[in-house]
Amino acid sequence: MVNAELAQTSNTLFHAAFLLYIAAMIAYFFRLAFTRVTAEGGSAGTAVGRRVGYAGTALAVVGVVVHAGSVLARAFAVIPPRVPWANMYEYSSLLALAAVAVGLIVVQRRLGYGHLMGFVLALAVLSMTSALLLFTEAGPVVPALDSYWIKIHTSSAMLSSSIFMIGFAATALYLVKDIAERRVAERSGSRFGASTVGAASVRSAPGGLEGPPVADLESEPETRDSRDVIASPLAQRAVLSPVLFPVVPFVAVAAFTLAVWRAPIAALAAGSVAALLGTVTWYAVPHLPPATSLDNLAYRTVAFAFPIWTFAVIAGAIWAEEAWGRYWGWDPKETGSFFTWVLYASYLHARSTHGWRGRRAAWIGVIAFVALMITYYAVNLWVVGLHSYAGV
Amino acid sequence: VTVHEAPPTHTATTDPSGDRGPARPQASRLPDIPGPGETALTLWRRLRRMSTALVLLFALAAASVVATFVPQEPVIRSTVADWRAGEAGPGAGWARAFDALGLFDVYGSWWFTLLTATLLVSLTGCLIPRWRAFARNVRGRPPTGRNLDWLTNHTVVTTPLGAGEALTAVDGVLARRRFRRRRVGAQVAAERGHWREGGSLVFHTSFYLILLGAVLGQTFGFRGHINLAEGSAFADTRIAYDLAQPGRWWNLDDHRGFVVRLDAFAVSFYDDFTPSDFVSTITILEGGQPVRAEEVRVNHPVRHQGMVIYQARWGMAPRVVLRAGDRVIFDEPLMLSLAEGRGWIWTGVGKVAVGGGGGDGEGGRGPQVALDVVLLPDAALTEDGMPFSRSPEPKNPRLIADLWVGEDLGLDRPVPASQFDRDAGQVVGPPAILAPGESVGMANGALLLEFPDLQTWSGFQVSHAPGRWLLVLGGTLLLAGLIPSLYSYRRRIWAEAHPDATSTRLVLAGVALQRKEAFAEEFTGVAAAVEAAVAHPVLDNQETHG
Repeated sequence: MVNAELAQTSNTLFHAAFLLYIAAMIAYFFRLAFTRVTAEGGSAGTAVGRRVGYAGTALAVVGVVVHAGSVLARAFAVIPPRVPWANMYEYSSLLALAAVAVGLIVVQRRLGYGHLMGFVLALAVLSMTSALLLFTEAGPVVPALDSYWIKIHTSSAMLSSSIFMIGFAATALYLVKDIAERRVAERSGSRFGASTVGAASVRSAPGGLEGPPVADLESEPETRDSRDVIASPLAQRAVLSPVLFPVVPFVAVAAFTLAVWRAPIAALAAGSVAALLGTVTWYAVPHLPPATSLDNLAYRTVAFAFPIWTFAVIAGAIWAEEAWGRYWGWDPKETGSFFTWVLYASYLHARSTHGWRGRRAAWIGVIAFVALMITYYAVNLWVVGLHSYAGV
Repeated sequence: VTVHEAPPTHTATTDPSGDRGPARPQASRLPDIPGPGETALTLWRRLRRMSTALVLLFALAAASVVATFVPQEPVIRSTVADWRAGEAGPGAGWARAFDALGLFDVYGSWWFTLLTATLLVSLTGCLIPRWRAFARNVRGRPPTGRNLDWLTNHTVVTTPLGAGEALTAVDGVLARRRFRRRRVGAQVAAERGHWREGGSLVFHTSFYLILLGAVLGQTFGFRGHINLAEGSAFADTRIAYDLAQPGRWWNLDDHRGFVVRLDAFAVSFYDDFTPSDFVSTITILEGGQPVRAEEVRVNHPVRHQGMVIYQARWGMAPRVVLRAGDRVIFDEPLMLSLAEGRGWIWTGVGKVAVGGGGGDGEGGRGPQVALDVVLLPDAALTEDGMPFSRSPEPKNPRLIADLWVGEDLGLDRPVPASQFDRDAGQVVGPPAILAPGESVGMANGALLLEFPDLQTWSGFQVSHAPGRWLLVLGGTLLLAGLIPSLYSYRRRIWAEAHPDATSTRLVLAGVALQRKEAFAEEFTGVAAAVEAAVAHPVLDNQETHG
């Protein structure tokens, strides 16, 4: 009961979208390299950069449309049609689609960080690569998944994961930018020897669960902090190691791929992509928005995704009660999602706790994303549990 | 405030004045050693800190990492057994260490309970003062502002209106934006965004509800498993269940006693032989009378009298009859299970003590007989003559039975239902191969084996979990509190009127505790609305009343 033609169309469109995203990613990186960042965090591009940037946006939009076509074709390839997120291939594919779509709508259009879209696209491309590794032919679902809860639970988990993905890009970039800014400030030997950005991020932190007492509500002096000090944008690149940036992502991604899939060639390829991404990040440091803005973007994306993730976990518990007769059984997947939830909750708490703001909170954000990836990939592929049917 | 909270250097220096109050004892040269009460107070304060809560949350996360990668006994018992035996995992030595630390049952271990309890105490200690402060804040009225010109967000609007009219107009604008307002003298003070703290409190408090619901379900609940062959029934009583997991305060007379009869079980398959649906058709009987006819499916449990019946397992159940001469010594459907990793091959065992009902002089003991059964639902032979099943559907079922005979196959001893003591017996004769409806003589004609028809069996989980509504309520409150706690923000706006001869100068200022960027935008909007509202006297009236 599978329409082979539609299934084939879906695969073709998937590959087309994959190539479109790669082209768009290159265009966006090109745009980033031609963006100058002012001390206020505003950005100005050269004419060429802008034109290539428009091309990148166009490519990404076409990619999203093509990708959506692939997903729809996949849904209707099975008779009767079903939700197109019932196995890891489909889920990874949708994860990439949602990340790019949310990136275009929220990050680029609403928040105006369009020049960061290259990184979002890069993560989407990595997610699609994993989809290719997990490819499954279109087919119907097993009875355990045949419930309307798959629409609610899985789609919300997927949507929040894709937003967490964007949050991770922002968090990682924040850490890099913050380290660069701090080192430049230290080396310039100025009076900003201590934390320049830490102070800035405290001030602009959107606050958390506990704000300072109301008595402290005084207007703060509006000082522009030390970013005026930065002598030349290239100084930020000079303080970062050009070796570590490709090597660390290569080792991390290659080791992860090797551990999960035991596919050396795929590990090498994925590692190389990650290494390239690392190098791009290193090169792009001077062109990135100020650390404060990146931190803010990271917080806003995580705060956006966290309630959706919470909802996904609760919906999962309700579904578990309906399918397995218990809300919560500490199945590896349940444990993993709880673990991820706790870490993201810690991130949000850390953002509003003195002594944890800034870099420390950001590291928690990074760990939380790693936990999300482990919950998704490693638990499905390594650990036997009730969610194993959702495997490959 | 106790004296001990002074900096430590304070006690080292002698107080020159010496008269800090009659209650204070003569300054000692010894440093203050905190008493037990004070240490407890310090610990209590430390426990309530957010950074402590963070560390505890990390510990919780670390525990769940362990539980993800170390098999958990309540989840997969067999894997844990393999780890303990050293057949899987890092080895038997490690497994012993894991056992000592309770790592095979992280969520049931004492240290996990301790961790959760500490976190709850910390949360409670944090929440009580916050609830109090929140209640105070919500009941309080917006405070007036001073030095409005110093605030970052401030603007001045000049209006032809008088001071009173202008402030009324501002009040109207703020009312439309759902601010809480207060008019004091020449000032309107407004405040909004209590939902941030309120939401956060609701979010954190909902954990107690969820925990309470879970504990209620655990202690007053029940979970049982039962396998039924088609046509058979069970009554909801403790002894009926193959496996019963009652909560601590679940009593025997809490069972409802209704009877569930499995009328039919059907499984259907997709073209690639993955199952597409499992349907158990059941009848519920009370007092011998059928009261409900229902279908139990995966994801579609049936609720009856607070007990929920779930579709959990299934299998093939060939009815097997064994005759010794005229006497039927065995007539039961054998509930077979799928042999792991061998395709669609079902295996199982039928056991019978032949002399059981005899009553001869030898104490009624005869030889014991066991049937070792293999069922192929769609039988065929491979090229080298090995039987296999082409599909899971019973298109061409074949029953292959080996007859074991021995003096003591362990039928009276506690041996797992699917096993018998094979060392104590021997196979008699060649295996019998039967299609439904066929029969064959075994053991040189002493026994007649019949395979009248092929049925199926269905496995149910039956459970009762009180506190369900608490869990749902807790989950709803969790989400309902979370969203305002992240997006709402506390802010205040003040408007001060400075009238002069012909016009009024309105100073408008505001401040936000959180989300300052969002507030800056909102403030601009408020300022524009105020400017429009106070521009003309006539317009103003329409605005405020319309």
